[in-house]
Amino acid sequence: MATTVAPPRAKSYDETFFSPVTTWLTTTDHKLIGIMYMTTGLLSLVLGGIFALVMRIQLAQPNQHVVTPDVYNQMVSAHGVTMIFFFATIFLTGIANYMVPLMVGARDMAFPRVNLLGFWLIPASILLYYLGLLPIFGSGGGGLSAGWTGYPPLTEKRFSPGLGTDLWTMSIALWGISGIMASTNFLTTILALRAPGMSLFRLPLFVWAQISTSLLLLLVGAPLVAAMVLLELDRQFGTNFFTDQGRPVLYQHLFWFFGHPEVYIMILPGFGMISEIMPVFSRKPIFGYSSMVLALFGIVFLSLAVWAHHMFTVGMNIYIETFFMVMTMLIAVPTGIKFFNWIATAWRGAVRFTVPMKYAFGFLATFLIGGITGIFLASVPVDTQLHQSYYVVAHLHYVLVGGSTFTMFAGLSYWYPKITGRLLSERIGNWSFWTFFIGFNGTFLNMHTLGLSGMVRRIATYSDPSWALTNLVITIFSFMIALSVGLFLWNLVRSRTHGAVAGNDPWGGYTLEWATTSPPPPYNFERVPIVRSFMPMREIRAEEGTSFPEERAASHGEEKKAPAHR
Amino acid sequence: MRAARLKWRWIMAAAVLSTAASLLLSLPATAESALLPPPVSPNGHRIWDLYNGIFLVAIPIFLLVEILLLIIIVRFRRRAPDYIPPQWHGNTLLEITWTVIPFLIVTGIAAVSFVELRTDFVKPTDAQTQLDIAIIGYQFGWDYQYPQGFKSSNTLVVPTNTLVRLNTNTRDVIHSWWVPAITGKTDAVPGYQNYFWMKIDHPGKWHGECAELCGAGHYTMQIDVEAKDQAAYQAWVQQQMQSSSQAASGARTSSPSPAPSPSSAPHG
Repeated sequence: MATTVAPPRAKSYDETFFSPVTTWLTTTDHKLIGIMYMTTGLLSLVLGGIFALVMRIQLAQPNQHVVTPDVYNQMVSAHGVTMIFFFATIFLTGIANYMVPLMVGARDMAFPRVNLLGFWLIPASILLYYLGLLPIFGSGGGGLSAGWTGYPPLTEKRFSPGLGTDLWTMSIALWGISGIMASTNFLTTILALRAPGMSLFRLPLFVWAQISTSLLLLLVGAPLVAAMVLLELDRQFGTNFFTDQGRPVLYQHLFWFFGHPEVYIMILPGFGMISEIMPVFSRKPIFGYSSMVLALFGIVFLSLAVWAHHMFTVGMNIYIETFFMVMTMLIAVPTGIKFFNWIATAWRGAVRFTVPMKYAFGFLATFLIGGITGIFLASVPVDTQLHQSYYVVAHLHYVLVGGSTFTMFAGLSYWYPKITGRLLSERIGNWSFWTFFIGFNGTFLNMHTLGLSGMVRRIATYSDPSWALTNLVITIFSFMIALSVGLFLWNLVRSRTHGAVAGNDPWGGYTLEWATTSPPPPYNFERVPIVRSFMPMREIRAEEGTSFPEERAASHGEEKKAPAHR
Repeated sequence: MRAARLKWRWIMAAAVLSTAASLLLSLPATAESALLPPPVSPNGHRIWDLYNGIFLVAIPIFLLVEILLLIIIVRFRRRAPDYIPPQWHGNTLLEITWTVIPFLIVTGIAAVSFVELRTDFVKPTDAQTQLDIAIIGYQFGWDYQYPQGFKSSNTLVVPTNTLVRLNTNTRDVIHSWWVPAITGKTDAVPGYQNYFWMKIDHPGKWHGECAELCGAGHYTMQIDVEAKDQAAYQAWVQQQMQSSSQAASGARTSSPSPAPSPSSAPHG
């Protein structure tokens, strides 16, 4: 099927009339907005990475003062805020913005203008936050220096007088509003604009993942905005919601009511991408489609009732703590279902280890560790030891990098040919994957031991010489991560012009996005395809006579929806 | 040819696994730090026992999944472009199995954790308590208020084999008191009275740090604990009471408050 003609650059309808900048400001094409989201996310990844590297240089040896403690604390905060709010969530919103309408067979999102507005709130939000880091707003920089969580009373005016903290609350509130817009848009698109025949239980699992993510963000976005507004009222109008006259712990409840589901907002789309990638490169249907969907909603439900596991040391009633402990541990059940279903999908398959599949396996191998350490941390007594130590830093990076970032790289490598019409370089991709895998594990595996031996997180420096060697090793591996991210980004840029022409369907995909051209036209599909199963590309290929062997066998044989274990 | 390649893959897989395992085991040793500081208080002891118990359950699960992944990597590669794998859509029995077994495992872990929570994380009654000390955190140090009326800065001195009930509080932002060898951390939150306890079994000195980011001097907020046997502790108390009464009489002429921490916070 691969055409020999070089594909045209992704051109939106508007682009033929306006300059690129005007196009970015006025386009309502979900694909261009998706690319804008993804680019913003990747630029944030670079910024957040630079903060991380400065922190690692500072911690490479004991008693170092490369940056002052105050600047260090601002970097701790900026690294967290950038990676969580401006990289992970934004990049994932971008990839969903591009893929969801294609995968459900729609011509655009349900509310194209809301989509554009929602996107442009993000650069505004980022700009607000980074303005706060400029030294003009306070001596030594008045930026947020209380971690990405920003617990009061430390973030109250008395202890953080800098304007940066005010700008942070406003930035995050804007971000929350943008997220609510995007979620509404996704849900409406998926519920209202599906191609004929695309019933809910024929939706690709990535789309199901996007439904659950959007539901979560819709439910928890408002409490986040509320927390930020209340904190800002405290700071500017002396309302005493969270001061020592009020209830500082109330802020923690509001924040984590958002903050913990946010982890799933960052991980569920990744789960969805893995559920797309595993079948395609194993040449087998996903194992247990319905239980995959149920597991997603199990996670959504449970994740709304676990937030206080971030607060086991603030002094809650032990029975309340037990409730949150049990709910947290139960999340292992739906996550386990997904894990074993992915393994069963590849089991006895014809597995092709392309770069996206390598990242998918990298995800399975590393996210597992994050999941298991999550059980340790959920156990209240154990958590009182590990909480706020480097063990938690290791755990959260195994979840958010081992989980979220690996899947993002898997998804982007998988869909890059659709987005640009060209394949990524397999050679650079392999180098990038292996340096990422080794660098990541070298960095974060070692942090577990530091945490167990008592190293506290968010400290600007330390004096214990017994931590020096492990920290040095971590710093060296962290530069390996930087190298691999550099290679990955370079591959993205280089392959746009140098990559092999991909054709419409380079992987033998199962979902609708592979039915259109690469890149898709502004209207997505010349003719909206009619969907007859949850793997619609099988029928489309059968009509075109381009089926894969197993598909021909299936169409002649006795393929049933019912389990057919042999 | 294929057999040779398959064998080579197994060797590679074994090499990767053993490297990972040795890395995991050797690093803490080379770092010269014990993985877990030996616990000196019964509650800390039981927490580490619980940690190790969960570890024993976690390791087989970890190995099971990683080995399944390695088997896929080695055995189920696409060998021929036209190979037709079995087109399974699911298997209800299997899916129920891997729902129920994890459920039972986490329920078990939660139950054991709950027992430990009930044992060690309730406020000791006045009858159980042999010594009551208040911990007051501030930017950036700790004060320890003894029932005899004096205050110790920097070092918490406790008698051995005595159940000490500690009450954490703060003068400004949230802090968290943590000495890993003794027991888990307890936050000092404005307006909250939090309690924990310790019963140290032998004389010695232990170290910890404030575990909640509390400002520019957070990293300077060290914690030192010294356990003395009863006689040495009584002597220390006498000495403290004398010096505090001297400080109180001298306060009128010289410095208005007892000097805070000598480890000065540079940017406080």
